Amino acid sequence: MKRKTISLILLTAIFSALLSACGSGSDKNTIVFWTPLTGDDGAYMDQIVKEYNATNPEFKVKHVITSDMYTKISTVINSGKGVPDLAIIHADRVPGFVKQGVLEPLTGVLSAQPELKQDNYLPQAWSTGTISGTQYTVPLDIHSNVMYYNKDLLKKYNAESFLDDNIVTIDEMLSLQGKLDEGDYVVNDALLGWVILAQVQNLGGDIQQDGKPAVNTEVMKKAFESVKKIADAGLMTPFGEDGYLMFQGGHVLFSTDGTWSSTAHAKVEGLNFGVTNIYSPTPDKFTNRASSHLFAMLTNEKRTDEKEQGIGAFLEFIRQNSMEWAKAGQIVASKQVIESPEYKNYIQSFFTSDEKEIESLYIYTYEHYPYIAEAVDTYCADIVRGNVDLDETLATMQKFVEDKIAENNKAAGQ
Amino acid sequence: MKKRSFTPYFFIGPHLILFIVFILVPTIYGIYASFTKWNLLGDPVWVGFENYKTILFDSTSTFNAQFMNGMKNTLIFVGLSVPILIVIPLMVAVALEHKKVKMKGLMQSILYIPGLISISAAALIWLLIFNKQLGITGNVFGSQIPWPANQPYAWIIIIVITVWGGVGGNMIIYRASINGVAKDLYEAAEMDGAGSIRKFTSITLPSIRFPLIYTFVMTTGGAFNVFGQPLMMTKGGPQQSTHVLMMYIRQLAFGHGESIAGMASAMAVLLGLVILVISAMQYYVMNRNAS
Amino acid sequence: MLKKINLSKYLAYLFLIVLCLIWIIPVLFGITTSFRTEAEVVSSGFRLLPESWNFENYKAILENTSTAPILRWLFNSLFIAITHTFLVVVVISLTGYGYTRINFKGRDTLFFTLLGISFFPGVVNLIPSYKIIDALGWVNTAWAMIIPGLAGMGNIFLVRQFLKGIPTELDESARVDGASDFRIYYSVILPLIKPVLIVCGLFSFIGSWNDFLWPVIVYTDVDKMPVTAGLLLLQDIYGNYRMIGQLVGSAILAIIPTLVLFLFAQKHFLQSINLNSGLKG
Repeated sequence: MKRKTISLILLTAIFSALLSACGSGSDKNTIVFWTPLTGDDGAYMDQIVKEYNATNPEFKVKHVITSDMYTKISTVINSGKGVPDLAIIHADRVPGFVKQGVLEPLTGVLSAQPELKQDNYLPQAWSTGTISGTQYTVPLDIHSNVMYYNKDLLKKYNAESFLDDNIVTIDEMLSLQGKLDEGDYVVNDALLGWVILAQVQNLGGDIQQDGKPAVNTEVMKKAFESVKKIADAGLMTPFGEDGYLMFQGGHVLFSTDGTWSSTAHAKVEGLNFGVTNIYSPTPDKFTNRASSHLFAMLTNEKRTDEKEQGIGAFLEFIRQNSMEWAKAGQIVASKQVIESPEYKNYIQSFFTSDEKEIESLYIYTYEHYPYIAEAVDTYCADIVRGNVDLDETLATMQKFVEDKIAENNKAAGQ
Repeated sequence: MKKRSFTPYFFIGPHLILFIVFILVPTIYGIYASFTKWNLLGDPVWVGFENYKTILFDSTSTFNAQFMNGMKNTLIFVGLSVPILIVIPLMVAVALEHKKVKMKGLMQSILYIPGLISISAAALIWLLIFNKQLGITGNVFGSQIPWPANQPYAWIIIIVITVWGGVGGNMIIYRASINGVAKDLYEAAEMDGAGSIRKFTSITLPSIRFPLIYTFVMTTGGAFNVFGQPLMMTKGGPQQSTHVLMMYIRQLAFGHGESIAGMASAMAVLLGLVILVISAMQYYVMNRNAS
Repeated sequence: MLKKINLSKYLAYLFLIVLCLIWIIPVLFGITTSFRTEAEVVSSGFRLLPESWNFENYKAILENTSTAPILRWLFNSLFIAITHTFLVVVVISLTGYGYTRINFKGRDTLFFTLLGISFFPGVVNLIPSYKIIDALGWVNTAWAMIIPGLAGMGNIFLVRQFLKGIPTELDESARVDGASDFRIYYSVILPLIKPVLIVCGLFSFIGSWNDFLWPVIVYTDVDKMPVTAGLLLLQDIYGNYRMIGQLVGSAILAIIPTLVLFLFAQKHFLQSINLNSGLKG
């Protein structure tokens, strides 16, 4: 009896393994397309790919979602096999990938598809992929840090006028001091690092100077201090509490999270919300720190010219037919899509409603931006809550970024 | 005689081959990488002991600060979690061994179930429970402090989720071991009028000493590798006071910016050496006392 | 005498019941959370039971079959975990026997060297490991999930420790009767270490079932993925916050098979020992 069971298991094992060994191997007429789009985003992209394949293109697209795409990319680049034909990467990866020779220029693809050009996309989404005059990416979207507001609470506290000029200033927020019921707050600390990086722009600064990282600067200090004022006044959701959930729970006027959260907020019954720009220390300027999903080709010698043409056709299809992507809450990059009347139904159309709004979507393209963002994310909460000394911490952050950059240069043999 | 010389290969050979291919070779590569600068994409550039020098001796370096802070926090975690992960399962196993206790299977299952739940779902559940507005710390216990952002609560919630998810494994090992202790030993001891504590120290403990060594060594080794619980529960805060070494290592190797894999490997090798020394000491001390 | 026994019984009960209550509350809270609406999850106050039982979360999980073929994933996971567990039991019992019952030069040194090496945390090891799998042609196949885990030292260490606690008289007498090593392994040792093998098998099954990092690296076909890695695809890249109820719900679905296995195994690793308890002492 026992032996029978064991041999049965063994047999099944061998048989199934044989089965799974055959039948794989990717078709040379298939475009293997990797994306990090997990969750609902992946389902929307699946739908777009399905629609494209239904047009019976010469090269069909196979969409592969991976939950850890960048690690996977380093494994296939190292082994040189299994490199996908097309991938979606994030804006902050582009400079590093180009420097490391991981991306292939899209020159061939673009020359065959005349409509894949800067004029047809949101300008900053396109230019993120331009390195030294060569185009490496075509954008799918811009996803940005935005500020949601709770309509009912704004009304309750008579703060609807804050929204008039589309800039909620820090002073306006501070004017609510002492007027809130216990347990209510003006703003939460979701994506606080992105908010800080937006303030750096609002204050007219930058995170680099002549290619060198600039973290320990007067502007950065001012950016932190201006946000800290809100926390000091007791208007920010308490340190360590989940401000995102508190906004959904209806206790916070403003939530500084991302474009993509609108779908989740919409699922919370009774939450009556709208969207506007991230708050600013000045009534003259507003910035929404953004990133972008970009189509790119990882270096792979085996990719044929014909396949590149197929990729071009797919990207052109996306340019014309990515309304589906608006459902994910993202700001679609193709002008044809955002200019169509249907797009107005989506809450994020606010950010492409005029030139000034489009300009406010700011994508950092500095080569070492990821390290700076990491430093800001690591330290921002403790700075804003006054748990650490600002000057000292800024010096630590500057050193943090410089040490990491120094390692890269050595790795590149420089 | 000739036949016997082949025997060892039959028993340990298959595993030895698997070990060489799937553990030894990758580990050697990892150690090699610790002597290089490497971004995971290009070829590693040999730099000798430079990474180690920076990590251990360059007190101005970010990597030195990260290693020291990470190692300190990891040691705190090991010191807090390992004793609990040994003692509670042992007490449970002994209590479940009590002849008069009923519903053993049910209670054993309840204690084991958390170990089956994925860390991300477990963290979500516990974060809701420890949430001041939505959970029990504020609503039931009236605590006004957000636990994940304040010490010592940040450590407490990390230890709570670790212990909650972690006692099951050791409990089962103890259960299986204690069950193997001959019942007549206990009966004889009872005849001699031995109490529960006497029975535990003079029969149970010695009988399960070898599995006990195993749980000590492996629980400690596992605790040194911790990163999921602090990552999910506190993100290393407040002020990086729960930022464990493995979190720094993973951020260096697989973070958002260009990978600093050589430095990460060097930290991992140093962590491995610490685990090696401590587990060797544990084994040596316990094994000597056991025999 | 009688009173004393009763006291220890009540103490044991008290300890166990308090512990079980603490342990079960988060589990129940998780289960009930998966039946809450998002609005209820984020509303203030602590409630163990949901206001009204809402099945939308589970409906959403099970309906999303285009990107998430959950049943297919469950089948893949079952195949991987069963095969892996079976092979683990074979390998660790053979190897455990080899490291305790066979005398050869440098045996313990070899064992502790291997154990020591296995303590080094693997971080960048991912890259060479993938290259090896690639060279073997196992990328995108179940072998990549089944075989590498057999090299682990943990279970062998546990079997070795168990075997060290078992007196050698039995196998000595079998050897005197002319039994070969394999014969002793198969007829004497295997039955003796059955409980620990069941424990190791259980650990291996659960470990293989819950592994999520490695399958993401070695699989490119969504259809071939095991369930734990597959469920990661349902989570959001921006953090897990978008749908707490759904996430917890999918985690609960995912533990059902391992829970069933545990309930099944639990009978065996305790029962079987009673068979041979008389042999000891």
